[in-house]
Amino acid sequence: MNHKFQPLLQKTAIAAAFVAVSFMTACSGGNAGSSSNDNKTFQRNWPDTTLSGDVTAELTAPPLVPKPLTYTTPKRVKVEMTVTEKVMKISDSTDYTFWTFDGTVPGSFIRVREGDLVEFTLKNSPDSKVSHNIDLHAVNGPGGGAEATNVAPGQSATFHFRALNPGLYVYHCATGPVGMHIANGMYGLILVEPAAGMPKVDHEYYIMQGDFYTKGKFEQPGLQEFDEEKAVDENPTYVLFNGRVRSTTGKNALPAKVGETVRLYVGNGGPNLSSSFHVIGEIFDRVYMEGGNIINHNVQTTMIPAGGSSIVEMQMEVPGVYNIVDHALYRAFHKGAIAQIKVTGNENPNVFEKVKNK
Amino acid sequence: MNIRKMLQPQGPIRFRKRLNLHAGILRMMAVATLTVLFLITVSLSPSLAHPNPSIPAIEKKMVLVPAGPYQPFLKREINKPIQVKAFRMDQTAVTNAEYLEFVKANPEWRKSNVNPLFADKNYLAHWKGDLEIGTGRYNHPNAPVVNVSWFAARAYAKWAGKRLPTVPEWERAGNGRPENLGNKTLIAYILEWYSKPNPARLPTVKSTYLNQYGLWDMHGLVWEWTFDFNSYLNSSDSRGGTQDENQLFCAAGSLGVQNKEDYAGYLRFSYRGSLKGKYCIPNLGFRCVKDL
Repeated sequence: MNHKFQPLLQKTAIAAAFVAVSFMTACSGGNAGSSSNDNKTFQRNWPDTTLSGDVTAELTAPPLVPKPLTYTTPKRVKVEMTVTEKVMKISDSTDYTFWTFDGTVPGSFIRVREGDLVEFTLKNSPDSKVSHNIDLHAVNGPGGGAEATNVAPGQSATFHFRALNPGLYVYHCATGPVGMHIANGMYGLILVEPAAGMPKVDHEYYIMQGDFYTKGKFEQPGLQEFDEEKAVDENPTYVLFNGRVRSTTGKNALPAKVGETVRLYVGNGGPNLSSSFHVIGEIFDRVYMEGGNIINHNVQTTMIPAGGSSIVEMQMEVPGVYNIVDHALYRAFHKGAIAQIKVTGNENPNVFEKVKNK
Repeated sequence: MNIRKMLQPQGPIRFRKRLNLHAGILRMMAVATLTVLFLITVSLSPSLAHPNPSIPAIEKKMVLVPAGPYQPFLKREINKPIQVKAFRMDQTAVTNAEYLEFVKANPEWRKSNVNPLFADKNYLAHWKGDLEIGTGRYNHPNAPVVNVSWFAARAYAKWAGKRLPTVPEWERAGNGRPENLGNKTLIAYILEWYSKPNPARLPTVKSTYLNQYGLWDMHGLVWEWTFDFNSYLNSSDSRGGTQDENQLFCAAGSLGVQNKEDYAGYLRFSYRGSLKGKYCIPNLGFRCVKDL
């Protein structure tokens, strides 16, 4: 069994406490809402206010994920990211002025451990036209860091936060107008590994969905402007994985071999759409629902809300190309929401074989 | 409670009260100290305390912005429009060439002399020397001067016998109807500016558009300092805005906005909220105003 985010004993203890408290409050006619508070109290009892050293976080551009963490006690983790506004391809013949964390959409993947003290520095490139900040959903504190990091072009700001809750979290810019900053690509993922670490798999990849709104039609050539009206109407021109039509297909498909297990860290930046996340021809063996502790098994399509995440794992049994889609399918086939996993290796007729007609 | 009583031995409750009183006195002292420090700081800036009386060599055209209403962007300010008195405003942003005259006349504002309290390390970073503009991407003599702090802009305005516009003044002027943008709305024009990368060279003044008051480039060239740039996001207490529901950050802030579709206005107010008086930024310049 895979109990990723809590050692089994702890998990059982939480469950026991939860049941006991629910029972007690139910009997006494107390406030049933207190159960979640108890869970929080449990997590806040972190003994480790001491830190066992400093590290600088490895940051990766999509679709790559930083290596699993090897340390086992909380550290001070330095993370430094730079906001840049830059013209990039949104499709092969179309340019768009993206607003980015570290120059990519989504921004750098951050990997820290439960209990770490994260010292976060946000820089805004001198060439930026507007001010930016960052709200990390992994933060317990006002604005998720947004207030502490509102930075003008050429400036920087630092704050620190304790990574209390393990899970996969979205971060995004929260400078007004927030929707526009997100629609321009300002989001990414931060993984807070549980203290016990993530179980080993063969491949880890980083994928993030987002919706984009341009004046011109889908794939209309040239530099396209942000279309405010379409954004307000929630009528995207593009729905993309990793910020570009065909970002992760063909020669850029995510590689794996028959028999290997692939783990996708999936986020949805929005700003508007929820994702019906699905891999055509595969079944998720495990889904960390909403990026949290609960693991569901044997899932075809999992819902990922805007500003939310999911971790999905699948063993690839049969060679071939597997399309990753938003199963609201007009988004996939008309607005770009397709990525691919390419599985190589021997055919596996025990699992799948095309039988000739006649 | 008088001082003598305070000094007498007291029971635990009184003792606590006395401590509270002490804390109160300490707080007052701290506030007083900070105020004094601030006053010293301001008076240290020569041009602020003693504006150079010389008649500037700059003859800059100013135009009239007539009295009229300005609808505050944030609902909390006042729900009804603010009446802005008539004023005169520089037709364009202050240029490199004009700013050069200022630093010639005011050596303390040359880049090698400037007090780091009043301008960060990027002050005039694009200039070649104290009295040499140079030839880089921001350096055309008629391009707006950028990389200047609020303190510097304010000192310039005093030197020129003018002042910096308030936010309501600037916004009223900036909302003037465009004269030469065709059918494009002002908001659409501004958003288009964001959607384009920075040009290889910062254009000169009078290169974008003219509005109904005769003002050039109110949008689409550089951001401009206002006198009270930071008064809209930070409340006067010291809580750092944490309790301030008036913020533009994040979703909650949007509740306080008059026109939720005025993305350009949003961006201006967010930008101003991220500034500090000593910041020098490559897309931030200024223009001055004068009372009638």
